[in-house]
Parts: sequence; structure tokens; C-alpha cells
Amino acid sequence: MRVPLGWLRDYVDLDLSPDALAERLTLLGFEVKGLERWGSEWRNVVVGELLTVEKHPRADRLSLTTVDVGAGEPLQIVCGATNIAPGQRVPVALPGALLPGNRAIERTEKMGVVSNGMLCSGDELRLSVDGEGILILPLGTPLGTALADLYGDWVLDVDVKPNRGDALCLVGLAREVAAATGKVARFPEILLREDGPPIGEVLAVGVEDPELCHRFVGRRVNGVRVGPSPGQVQRRLLAAGTRPVSNVVDATNYAMLELGKPTHAFDAGAVARDARGRAALVVRTARPGERLETLDHVERVLSPETLVIADENGPLAIAGVMGGAASEVGESTADVIIESAVFDPVSVRRTAFRYALRSEASLRFEKGQESRLARIGADRVAELIAAWAGGRIASGRIDTAPDEPVPARVGYRPARVDRLLGTSLGPKAQAALLARVGIATEPAPDGSGVVIAAGATPRSVAVAPGEARGAVVPTWRRDLLIEADIAEEVVRLAGYEAVVGKTPDTAMPHVRPNPLELRDALRRALVGAGLTEVVTPALVPASAAAALGWPVLAAGGVPGEAAVDGPLVTVTNPLSERHAVLRRGLVGSLLDVLALNERHGRGDVAIFEVGKGYAQAPDGAPAEWWRLAFLVTGSAGATAWNLPARQYDLDDAKGIVELVARVLALPDPAYAPHLDGAPLHPGRAARAVAPGALAGLVGELHPSVLAAWDLRAERVLVAELAISGLSAGQLVPVRVAPVGRFQPLERDLALVVPEPLAAAYLAATLRGAGGDTLRQVALFDIYRGAPLAAGEKSLAWRVVFAADERALTDEEVDADVARLVSAVASAHGARLRT
Amino acid sequence: MDLATLTSQLRALGEEALPKIAAAPDLAALAELDVAYLGRKGGALSGLMRGIGQLPADDRPRVGVAVNEVREAVEGALASARQRTAQAALAARLAAEAVDVTTPGRPIARGSLHPISETISRIAEIFGQFGFVTYEGPEVESDATNFQMLNIPPDHPARDLWDTMYVDIDGGLLRTHTSPGQIRVMHAERPPIRALLPGRCFRYEAVDASHASEFFQVEGLMVDEGTNLADLRGLLDEFAHAMFGAGRATRFRPGYYPFTEPSVAFDVGCLVCGGMGCPACGRTGWMTILGAGMVHPVVLQHGGIDPERYQGFAFGMGVERIAMLRHGIGDVRIFLDNDLRLLEQFR
Repeated sequence: MRVPLGWLRDYVDLDLSPDALAERLTLLGFEVKGLERWGSEWRNVVVGELLTVEKHPRADRLSLTTVDVGAGEPLQIVCGATNIAPGQRVPVALPGALLPGNRAIERTEKMGVVSNGMLCSGDELRLSVDGEGILILPLGTPLGTALADLYGDWVLDVDVKPNRGDALCLVGLAREVAAATGKVARFPEILLREDGPPIGEVLAVGVEDPELCHRFVGRRVNGVRVGPSPGQVQRRLLAAGTRPVSNVVDATNYAMLELGKPTHAFDAGAVARDARGRAALVVRTARPGERLETLDHVERVLSPETLVIADENGPLAIAGVMGGAASEVGESTADVIIESAVFDPVSVRRTAFRYALRSEASLRFEKGQESRLARIGADRVAELIAAWAGGRIASGRIDTAPDEPVPARVGYRPARVDRLLGTSLGPKAQAALLARVGIATEPAPDGSGVVIAAGATPRSVAVAPGEARGAVVPTWRRDLLIEADIAEEVVRLAGYEAVVGKTPDTAMPHVRPNPLELRDALRRALVGAGLTEVVTPALVPASAAAALGWPVLAAGGVPGEAAVDGPLVTVTNPLSERHAVLRRGLVGSLLDVLALNERHGRGDVAIFEVGKGYAQAPDGAPAEWWRLAFLVTGSAGATAWNLPARQYDLDDAKGIVELVARVLALPDPAYAPHLDGAPLHPGRAARAVAPGALAGLVGELHPSVLAAWDLRAERVLVAELAISGLSAGQLVPVRVAPVGRFQPLERDLALVVPEPLAAAYLAATLRGAGGDTLRQVALFDIYRGAPLAAGEKSLAWRVVFAADERALTDEEVDADVARLVSAVASAHGARLRT
Repeated sequence: MDLATLTSQLRALGEEALPKIAAAPDLAALAELDVAYLGRKGGALSGLMRGIGQLPADDRPRVGVAVNEVREAVEGALASARQRTAQAALAARLAAEAVDVTTPGRPIARGSLHPISETISRIAEIFGQFGFVTYEGPEVESDATNFQMLNIPPDHPARDLWDTMYVDIDGGLLRTHTSPGQIRVMHAERPPIRALLPGRCFRYEAVDASHASEFFQVEGLMVDEGTNLADLRGLLDEFAHAMFGAGRATRFRPGYYPFTEPSVAFDVGCLVCGGMGCPACGRTGWMTILGAGMVHPVVLQHGGIDPERYQGFAFGMGVERIAMLRHGIGDVRIFLDNDLRLLEQFR
């Protein structure tokens, strides 16, 4: 809320600098987000007196004036306005002046006559909304005074929290300033001259739904002259960020900013009369099919939940949200009906959302209104209209619920307040602090409990005699309901420096496994391997989620880390189509990162992300799961003058998969061809599986995917893996195998096989035929070419034999090798390369 | 052959051999001289020794002494000559092997942790020293868990504090904060509770330099008998000092959250100007790093904890905010952009 200090001074004395006041308010819970010098835009604008006003010699519509600006010779200034006359005091923008909107004023020539500046309208200065004539200043305004000194003000931008609707106004903030500075807040004194007819003869109000309209106070002012508000009113409204409209409408806005009470003024002439000739209003919900053209000139079809102010012909206004165009106060309005009501906060909030019409008024209704304000607001607006627009105020008010609430009593235990705060203020100091915001304290009646929780789950506790006190809460403080609220009020007023920090010395909790442990270990290992971690948006375009078609279930089969192949989770109110659904896999996001870095001229990219996939389970519940994905492309590792470049290929990607397994002490993954193709290269994609521990796809992206992402890279290797424990698992301790005492024996076997035979199948046969002493089967070379036939390849293996309790002999190892060779010969037609 | 002749021949042999050994250019020449003088067969010394047998028995011991003297002299000369030439050869080899040591080394590839996960780790490490245990909750929550259990009823004006993205699951939404985790932890654990909940959050918020629609938070929760605002202040001071330096000024000021009462905002002295006031801190000298407060009794009740017996505090901080202040980052958008030119600076 924008708070002009010049206006705030009406309600409380200020002797602090604006900066100091801002800090006090901030420390009291009313954060000052900005401190603006209103009028700082008027540079080189001073008060002048018109000495002469004559017709411009060459232009009928222009005047030639001489102006005394209090210093030096009178200035000759050309002016186009018609409301000027000698003797008037006016704002003069001197050459070099800068007006709002960065409008520079220079010495110019207008139709052959030199003009030494400009006479300003209120609109040009943003001091009023009058753009027609020159702003005429009061006669006694001192000549030569800078306008900024005259009308400039400090404006605080105060963040009033949703629970303090009572302070969303100048009077409310004046109360807080008073509490902070020890001054006394002044409520505006309302003096009404009710010289009109009795209200009962000119206005009738019926409330059909008192649940939604708790109180309706109506007043009427007859015979008003609608026109501009006084200059000071316009200046205050503009400084507070509200555009002046007319004296009647400004009166309602002025009272809202002053008291926090939204009201509405109807043109009484547009309201149907009842049989006794009274303007007759009714507050009711809208009937099916009813329509209303609101003040913004939008025709709205009203839903049946909408509370309206209506006459017998239909709705006139949406209650608490916006008036109707037909009953708008305008220049021809003679009689005005003032509505000052308290509507149900939830109803107003829903209605304002329904019509996307959240206004300063609806914001205040939503936060709840003190019932008393309905009466005060009606009186204040009537007074201001009569003062600014003339007219006769009808005597008395229509009031549908004249009983006003008394202050509530909130019980609290001073010892509990100190226990919650960690302070030792004691009952007396607490009472003194509460008194600063008008909260009186008294002994709580014996046998009364203390309310410690309110709302849907209220709770009251019994207290010992003398343990509790009662806080007598002013009617406007609707936020103070329970003991903890009183504690907050105490510490807020004491200042939080009263809370002296200490490190907690209460009991420690049990040790719990760290759900991030495994992910953190993985991250560090991959960083060490040269990959950079990325964190990408979980919300992706629906098209990307579908286009990639990454088979999420390919990374299934790991207990506790299952994915769901259900429908996407779609945002129903997305910010943009680019962030519309929750992703099911991470690979598309990694491609986005690659694309961005390619645009920066970066072709070598090695990245990974540990992130979530999301989908809807068959029962409609949301499912979330963790995955590791990585992408490598371009030069493998670092390149330098002493390190020749090498391009990442599938073996690098598989190496990363194996590193992951090793870091987490999982079994070695095995690979099987993934022939399904898209989104991977059909000949360069594998399903990597370590049973029960790791599963996923690793491979080169299909060229069509690269094209779809508009990537320059030729070969991009990606993987997405489900890993046991990624969601919340722990690292398992390494179990050490004893180191054998006897030297192992090694043999190398080069086996010639048909090209299509996958190495993994040959290795499996070797392992199966190896016997107890076979310890290792490792591929160390692949050879194609002469003297092998076309369609043949040679896979060279190192096989290692060892026994725990004895040394093996060459003879028995030779026999083992012979068995291996014959096994692969019969299984795969392999022959030993000689 | 008599004693005198033999003795003089021995002396001559020594006088001939020692200069030759001293002049030998390399190990091969020394090996030749070794054979020529000391070789068992055909060596010069062996040849002279064959004359010993012709001498009278009385003279033989004296000749033996002389032979040994010569042998030792030659052997000694050979040994020192070998050492000398070996050193020279080594020096020559080392000289030949010299490289330009000023060239850069062979780079070892290393990636970098993302500043979000690195910052979460750092936060967890600091609070971990005070016994705070990490938990996690889901990102797709419901209106009940994200709002209602946290004392934010439907149509409450405080809902304006969280612009929310809803999903096509009945009652489902993307969590706007990590606070729903408070309820989950309270249901899973009994006091004493010290919990930390990091994770991704979502808001319906236009993205600019200081606002993101996806961001990360770390929630903290401590509940026990007598846990109070002074504990919160002390703990947060420790955190601020660990994260931003031991001398960093801190302050509490009133805040507002429906799920805490009292509520506070926690400020640290401006990291740019140190408290003098500058544009970065809005000329206040302070920067807000998190919101906190004593857990509202209604929230404790929703967590199944008796608010008459137990008290607790909760805090929530934006991970990006902490990282931006810590690393001098001016724009929140960089976190999810993943420009490698930026990320790789964290190596």
C-alpha cells in the first residue's frame, strides 16, 4: 500500500525521518518495500504569478503571457490554455525542467514568439487529472517556490500482510506508527450536517441473504454537484496511486484509503423506487440468466453464487467487487446513495476471482471487515461528499444490523508466552507492550480455559487459577484469536532483539538414513569422471514429452525404483506451452541443454542429471521416481596440445554406466542389443542390466531425434538408468574377498566367430564352461581383416584361472582351455585363431 | 727371473696401467683394460705371477705382497674410473632428456556439481551438525497437504502468497513450497524432531531475474518440549555465520505465514555493501534469506502432535537465493538454463 506521509500526518504526529520511520515499520511487521520522493520528477518547476495575458499576435488559440517567478525579469511564455488570467498563481516549468514522463522543457519559439518555458496543467505534473487548463494554485502560494517543496511528499510502499486487513489503510498504519513511536493515533472526526429528508423516506434496503451480507448501512445525499475534487484531495489520491475521478467517487476512494472501508456510490436516479417513492435496494444472489454491465463496460452474465445489489429491475452492482455502469455517478447525477456494507469475505474473494475483477475494494473485503466500519464508512463518505460536492445529507441511516460487537477476550498464560518466545518478559512487561496497540489486559475469570488452537480444529486447555490473563482485543484486530497470537503481538512490540539466540540444548533425534546419500555419491563420482551436473525444469512442452518417446519402462525392473507408464501429469493452468506437463524422462531435458550450449558455439558436452520422472498411476494417483541420465557428445574428456582429441562413442557411455555400478558397489551391468530403435540408433543401443540393481538404456541417439532438436552434433550418446537405492537408499559397505596366496595363471584366446555373434554371448559361454577355477574372462582385442574371411571377426580374450588353496598346474589349465575352446566351437562355431 | 726383476716389472705394469685407466673414455674401454691387466687368462698381471714359481721360497711372500698392491691399485683405479664414466653418462642422458618444463600439464577432465545441489549439500551439512536429519516429500501434492493442513483453508486471503499450478489429477497441484513435508515428518516421527526437507517447488509466477516458476527450497523443522524462538534465532545465527562468514550481522523481524505463529523474516547484513545501504539491499543494509516461525498449534495438531505439550519452529529458505548471495549470481534464470560456461566455473 502506498502511504503519502503528508496524508498520514493527519492521523499521527511524525517526528522521525522517512528512513527511520520505514525501518520502525519494517521491524514492526509492516515491511517498507520502497521509499519514494513524490514530486522528485518536477525539476525546475516553480510557482509564478501571471502579470499579463494577451492574445498571441499570430495565433488565435494561443496566449502570450508574462510571468513573475520571484526572481529576475518577468518571463515571456506562450500558453494554449484558456483558463488563465492576470493575478493567478500557476506552476511554471522553466527551461531545463523535466516533467513526469521525461518530458524536457526548453526555451522555444512558438509562431515567431519566444517562449521561456511552459505553464503546466495538473495532468502534466501528475498532480490532478485535469489536462485541459493550467493548474491554478491558491493565491497565497509563495512566488518562486519550487513545486517539489510545495507539493512534494515522501511515499512509503508498505507491505501489509493478509492477516492485517485492519492496517490496509492510513488510520490503521497510524495506529502502528503510534505503537512504534509512543504517539497517539487520531481517528478522523466526523461532523455531519444532516439537513436532508429523513432517510426512511428516500431509501429502503432489504438483505435477502444475511449470511453473505452481514451488515448494510445506507445513506443518501441529495442535490450534489458532481465535479473535480479539491486539489489537495486529488494530490493525495494520486500520491497514493489512485486516479481521481470526481468529487463523489473520490470521496469513496478517499475513505477507503483512510479507513480501509470500501463503499459504493449509486446514482439514486438510476435506482427504481418502491410504492412509497423510496429508492429501493435489495442485496441478493443473482438469478439465473441475469446480466450486468460493470463499470469497466463489460457485459457480464452473472452466476447464481454472485451476490448483487439490485433494484426491482435487476442487478445494479456486484457486491464488494464492482459497480454497474447504469447506476454510475456521473456529471448529471443529482442524488447519491452510499452503500457501506460488510460482505462475506469468502464470497467476495470467489466472486472477484470468478470475474477476474480483483480490486482494492475486493482485497479489503476478502480480509474481513470490522462491522463497526460499515457505520463509520457511510458517515465519512456522506460528510466528504457534502463537503466536496455540496448537497444535503438525509438524516439518519438505513442499518440492517446496528448491533456492534464488543472487544473479544483472548486468554493467555504469560509464562507460556515467555516459554514460546524464549524470553523472560513476565506479565507486567507483556501487558505494557500489549497496551501500546490498545490491548487491555485483565485477570482471566477463574475456570475459563485458554484457547490454543482455533479454526477447524479448536482446542482449549484448562489452566490453574491465576495462571492466565485475558487480553481485551480491539474490535479491528480480527487476527488475534489464540494464545500464540498474543505471544506474537508481545514479541513484535518488544522487538525481536528481545529474543536472545541460543543453540538448542534439548534432546537430539534418532539417527536416520540420509535419502540423498546415494545420489550424492553418484554425483561426485560422475563429476570426477568429467561430467557436469545439470538441473533442468521438470515441466516440459507436451510435444517434447511425446516426441522423444523414451521408453520409461526400459529402466524398470529395479525393486523400489519402478516407473509408471501411465498418462502424463498435465498442468491445467500452465504459464506457457513450454512448461505444460511433468516429464516422464530426463533425456529430452538434456537435449535442451545441449541445444542451448550448441547455440553458444559449444560442441563438446558431457552432462548428467539426477532427477525425477512423473506420471499418473492406474488409480489416478501421481507417481514420481528417480533416474540418472547422462549425455556425452564431441571430444571425450579434455583436449590439449599434449592430449589428442578423441570423440565420445558408445564405449565411453557404457564405461560411465559401469563406473556408476562400481561406485555404488552394484554387480557389473551386462548389455543386450536394444533393437526397438527410436529414439536410439537401432544398431548402437543397448539395454544395460545388473539384475535387481540397475537397468536402463544406453546408446547413440537416432539421427531423426537430433534433427527434431535441431542439433548440430553428429553423434550424441545418452543413457537413462534406474538404480537401486536412488530414491532413498544407502551405500552398502564393501565386503572384502581374501586375496589368493597362489599365483593365478593367464591364457589368451583369440576366437574367430561370425560377425553377427555378440561378444556378450561368447563371454557367457566361456564363463559357463570355465569350471570352478575360472576367475576372469576379459575381452582385450577385436580384429577383422586378412587372413580372416569376410563376415568373420576375431575376439581375443584373456582368461584367468586360480584356486584358493593350491597352485594350479599348466597341465590342468591347458585342459580347462581346451574345454572352453570346444564349448564355444559347438555353441557358436568359433575356432581358435592360430 | 729374480726378485728384483719381477718387482720392477710389477711396478712398471702399475705405472703403465693407471694412466691408461684414467684416460679411458667409456665403460667399454675400461672393460678392455680390466681384461688386459687383470684377466685370469692372458692378463698382464697373471702373466707376471707365473714367474713367482721360479723364485726362491723365501722371496715368494714378499712378491705376493707386491702383486696384491699392484692388483688393488689397478682395481681401485678401474672402480673409480667406472663410477666417473657412469656419472658422466648419466649426466649426458639427463641433459639429452631435458624438456620445456614451462608447458602446461596434461589436463584431467573434471565436471562440476550444479550450484543448486552443491548449495543443498552445504545447507544440509551445516544443519546436520545440529542433528538435523534429511527427509524428502513428493512434488505433486494436494490442496489438503499443500495448504489446508498448513492452516490455510480454502479461499483464505493468504493464498495470494502462493500462486499455484494445478494438475489434471483430482485435487492435485504442484507443491508451492516444501512445507507439506512438515506434516509428513510429524506423522513419521515422534519428538524430538529435527528435520530438513530439500526439494523442487513450483509457482505460477512469471519468470524474471528474481522470480522462477520452478525453484528449490530447504525446509527445516524442529519440535520438542520447550523448543522456542530463542533456539530458532541461535540456530539461524549459526547457519548465517557458517554460510556467509562469522562476522555477518543478522536480525529477526516480524513476518507472516499462516503456518507459523509468531512468524519471522531472517535478514543478514547486506553481502554487497556490508550494511551501509546500496541498491542490492534496497538501501536498507539488510537482505532477507529465509522465513521462519514457531509452528502454528493447528499445524502441530494436523501432524498428530499435542500443541500443549510440544513447541516447534520451522523455517524455509530458497536455495537459489542462498546460492545467488554466496556466489555473486545476479539472475535466478541461470540455474535452470545450464549454460556450461557458467556451470563449469564451479569446478
